[in-house]
Amino acid sequence: MPQKLLVLRNCGVIDPQDVKSYLARGGFKALRRVQSGMTPAQVVGEVRRSGLRGRGGGGFPTGLKWEQTAQSPSQMKYVICNASEGEVGAFKDRYILEKDPFTLIEGIAIAGYAVGANKAYLYLRSEYAHLAPFLIGAIAEAEKEGFLGIGGHRFGIELRLGSGGYVCGEETALMESLEGRRGEPRARPPFPPSQGLLGFPTVINNVETLMNIPWVVANGANRFCGMGTEESKGTKVFSVCGDVERPGVYELEMGSSLRELVEGLASAGDVKMVQVGGASGRIVPADKMDVALSYESVLGAGPVIVFDKSRDVVDIMRQTMEFFAEESCGKCAPCREGTQSMAETLARIVDGKGRRKDLKALEDLSAAMMLTSSCGLGQAAPYPVMDSLRYFRHEYEAHISS
Amino acid sequence: MKIEVILNGAKVHGSLGMTILELARQNRVDIPTLCYHPDLTPIGVCRICVVEVEGCRTLMPACQTRIAPGMVIQTHSPKVIETRRTLVELMLASHPDVCLVCDKGNDCELRQIAGDLGITMPRFRMKRHYYPSEDAGPHVVRDLTKCILCRRCVRACHEIKKADILAMGYQGFGSKVIAGRDQPLDAEVCQSCDVCISVCPVGALAKREDVERRSYRDCRDGVRLRRTGESKGVPQSHTFSSPHEGEPGG
Repeated sequence: MPQKLLVLRNCGVIDPQDVKSYLARGGFKALRRVQSGMTPAQVVGEVRRSGLRGRGGGGFPTGLKWEQTAQSPSQMKYVICNASEGEVGAFKDRYILEKDPFTLIEGIAIAGYAVGANKAYLYLRSEYAHLAPFLIGAIAEAEKEGFLGIGGHRFGIELRLGSGGYVCGEETALMESLEGRRGEPRARPPFPPSQGLLGFPTVINNVETLMNIPWVVANGANRFCGMGTEESKGTKVFSVCGDVERPGVYELEMGSSLRELVEGLASAGDVKMVQVGGASGRIVPADKMDVALSYESVLGAGPVIVFDKSRDVVDIMRQTMEFFAEESCGKCAPCREGTQSMAETLARIVDGKGRRKDLKALEDLSAAMMLTSSCGLGQAAPYPVMDSLRYFRHEYEAHISS
Repeated sequence: MKIEVILNGAKVHGSLGMTILELARQNRVDIPTLCYHPDLTPIGVCRICVVEVEGCRTLMPACQTRIAPGMVIQTHSPKVIETRRTLVELMLASHPDVCLVCDKGNDCELRQIAGDLGITMPRFRMKRHYYPSEDAGPHVVRDLTKCILCRRCVRACHEIKKADILAMGYQGFGSKVIAGRDQPLDAEVCQSCDVCISVCPVGALAKREDVERRSYRDCRDGVRLRRTGESKGVPQSHTFSSPHEGEPGG
């Protein structure tokens, strides 16, 4: 199955510094259509019917999120575009921001119109700070052309920079950070559609999710529904890296096989395992690579890291857990202490000082962290260890017995 | 408005806005807590109070989760107990083994919970939080080595005293309760009320006079005196080379 360019249709085609080149490709047509002839409820309905789900890894139905926000009674509402792409091996949002900022701006504006928000924030991670002037320029161009806030609907997009926290990709931690506090996740409920930024109803979507919106509005929900699987509609953008010959950003229809992406498009050979979804993603061993990429099986936020047979699984896990131990915000005990304990246990095993009961301890700890951590970071951090213990237990045992 | 929920198999009634913990305590069900304090806003960081709520993917913190009509709650299912044990063992793994000489002694809430759950030696091995003891202030002596990061002191400083002197600093395992920009908690920074000390569940915060009366150093000197029979203050490098060496009468 070849690539299917929907989100990336303008990337590399238009001049990202020139709004005219975007207009020439039919840009802002969807926004115009929305503003001139659709009610907010119609827009929300269209997105709901499309079956679009969040592309940041969570997979929450976007239309439902919008509907809940639209129905929350409040004078003030916000839209946040989550461009805090912190996942290990992820660079698809950066690619999109660099090549096609206008589609994103259009998507944000449609979201704002649909839920009745007057203000949107584009939360850019600090590592992408070099893109800030360029993005501010793009927003200003769109404003100058009169696409933001017409017909009595006041709407502004403001760019905000993060401060370098992985956990700030988590929606409530991101809001804390936007409000000027320590980036730590909040307790949920209340969920952002009822109480989000500064306590107001907020829609928060990933860059890629919002990139889909103009296409869905322009081409209709039915065409979008025609792509993908039962529960995963449309396409997905992946950033492939690791032991491959052609690393890069690829867009495939939902339900395509992982083998197609890794061996076909990225030309990987001698694969041992693939980490789908970055550090907090799932591990797929080489013999299970025919799995379909979808919310029903494995998907994640987009990063696909390929490891060949020369790699040591336990050492990869050690590095992954060290990453989590470093990036845990430290708020809840299971994540703060658990990631550290796991990182140390894995380091001992790599050093040949592991004991058989360490594996049991890792499993017990994983179970407790998944059940009790307060946000997605702590709940997902044990996945790679659990998966590798399932598929590569012999490698752990080899380290321990040697 | 009355809400009917099922708590450990029994139908009970609570009012709107009540948390699971409040409902449980009202019905004489004991859920252990660490970061929860009745005078402070619950923040659910220790996760010791987690309970099973039917339909939830994860366990829910009882101190923060509000009851809803028809909720089915298990506070002491095998899954909950096992998970709670793991959490407490994890906390103990990074906590110093100094209970015998800790001033908090049997008042320590962490120790009480560990005792209730029958935990002796934690399964997990990991490095401990080590910070030098701070006694720069006129009143508060901090030993952050013993801190379990429940944030009761931070909340008390903010909510009760409205002083905002304490805050969280750093991240992950290096998280630490800091004063100002992580400066000593001295007379200039701290107004020396007792609030943070009174809410600390472990021995991380103490009053200076209490510490001076029965400090760890005195205790150690006492041990040395007993073991060597020598006068206080004379450094003896060989003193602890063997536990039996220099025993009085030995």
